[in-house]
Amino acid sequence: MTSEREALFSVQGTPALPDHPALIGGKCASCGHIFFPFQAYGCEKCGSIAIESIQLSGRGKLICSAQVHMSANPAFPAPYVVGSIQTEDGAVVRAVLSVTADADLVPGTSMITELVPETRPEQGGHDIRFKPAAKEA
Amino acid sequence: MAKLIGDLSPVYVVGVGYHPYQYASETSYVALGLHAVRQALADAAIPWEEIESSYVANALLGMAVGRPMLRHLGALGKPVVHIENASASGSAAFRHACIEVASGISDVALAVGVDKPPRSGVFRSPTGIPSLADDAIVPFTHFALLTDEYCHAYGVSPEDLALVAVKNHANGARNPNAQRQKERTLEEVLGGKCISGTLTALQCTPVGEGAAAVIVASEAGIKRLGIDPARAIRVASSAAGSEEAGNDLNPDTALSFTTMSRAITEAQLTPGDLDVIELHDAFTVEELLYAEATGICSPGRFIPMLKEGAWNIGGQCAISPSGGLIAMGHPIGPTGIGQIGELTIQLRGEAGARQQPNAKHGLAHMVGVGAVCYVHVLSK
Repeated sequence: MTSEREALFSVQGTPALPDHPALIGGKCASCGHIFFPFQAYGCEKCGSIAIESIQLSGRGKLICSAQVHMSANPAFPAPYVVGSIQTEDGAVVRAVLSVTADADLVPGTSMITELVPETRPEQGGHDIRFKPAAKEA
Repeated sequence: MAKLIGDLSPVYVVGVGYHPYQYASETSYVALGLHAVRQALADAAIPWEEIESSYVANALLGMAVGRPMLRHLGALGKPVVHIENASASGSAAFRHACIEVASGISDVALAVGVDKPPRSGVFRSPTGIPSLADDAIVPFTHFALLTDEYCHAYGVSPEDLALVAVKNHANGARNPNAQRQKERTLEEVLGGKCISGTLTALQCTPVGEGAAAVIVASEAGIKRLGIDPARAIRVASSAAGSEEAGNDLNPDTALSFTTMSRAITEAQLTPGDLDVIELHDAFTVEELLYAEATGICSPGRFIPMLKEGAWNIGGQCAISPSGGLIAMGHPIGPTGIGQIGELTIQLRGEAGARQQPNAKHGLAHMVGVGAVCYVHVLSK
């Protein structure tokens, strides 16, 4: 069964980036607005319900990051690091990052998705994180 | 054609009352709210019988809490409406009380905000749309991310941002209604508990409990009830908006810019005319983002001007003279009404140790999760 969380991404990436999970976003057929996450209630830009599901690249640039020192959720014991990423498709997402607490993260760093095992109950088998693309080298 | 508040009959704030903001206690919300309303009635020097309509702001208490509180002033059968608009609940209640009086439906109306922290978290019904990391990125982390973005964009340090908290704690120390009434050094602010990113506990609002009330009246009401016109402060404008479509991770600032611009223009002022500003400074970075959105300085200039003292009481424009959300506190429902009360006290010249000299124009600004935004300008 696909969990609500797993509706956010596909394990199989985009054709250009097949080994990195793709984000599942939406595109309005009426006005072209691209957004994440996918929803079919109606386009936030124009109100149209002609919305299609699209795969968004799992690659982007880091806008900002922060190390969380005090967790508000037992599923995420502190410290952990989060960031805002602008994807190649223009979507802007916030995600947990797969980096060490002392990682040198500067705006503009290339980031890429990776699949990680889900540890929370009833959230499916996998989750995704973003990590610096440089780690690929 | 659509009308602005300024196109309708003039509205004045004639009464202000508080129950001091404080950490959660066993005191009932009824006692908190009644304390603020009775103080506002005494301040206006009018009896409860003259209040024609009441707007009750809260976000955390649950359904229909107004009449069980107000009935203890005398259950007279007058209209009561509840307004929930997240952090901007009080601001929304104030706006609608003003609209009622400006339209001529009532001559005298009450806006009262009261709240207590919930015992087991805030309930928000699920939308059915999943999120990637909302459970890992709670509000304080959202603002930690914006702090990191601002620091990189304008080359300022986390220590610079902490100066906002030093200023607001100093102001709160002069406000008997503030939840935090202690001056703090930069070392104390930076050395406190680490929350998220570079934010420490003293740079984050303490969400507690309390109440704030204001009474608004028309010119006819002021004359009929013999209210001192010298202590009546004009509501020069009221503007409200909600977030527009887009992929903006900082919608509050864009929304604030638009709403502030409308409110300042409607009041026929320029940003430089503002003497006092109360902002939604729940986290230090918010004060500078929203202050810059008013147009009182260009983006990136807030911190250099803060260091010059421009935003202190006695400076070019006193920002958060009440202590703001960081020091005065943010009990949610009362907060926006408490800001209106602070502006009224400042423009009357009754703020004592935290008085901004010769204050003539003040602006109050709140955002609420959603996002929604409310801005009011008051003038002497």
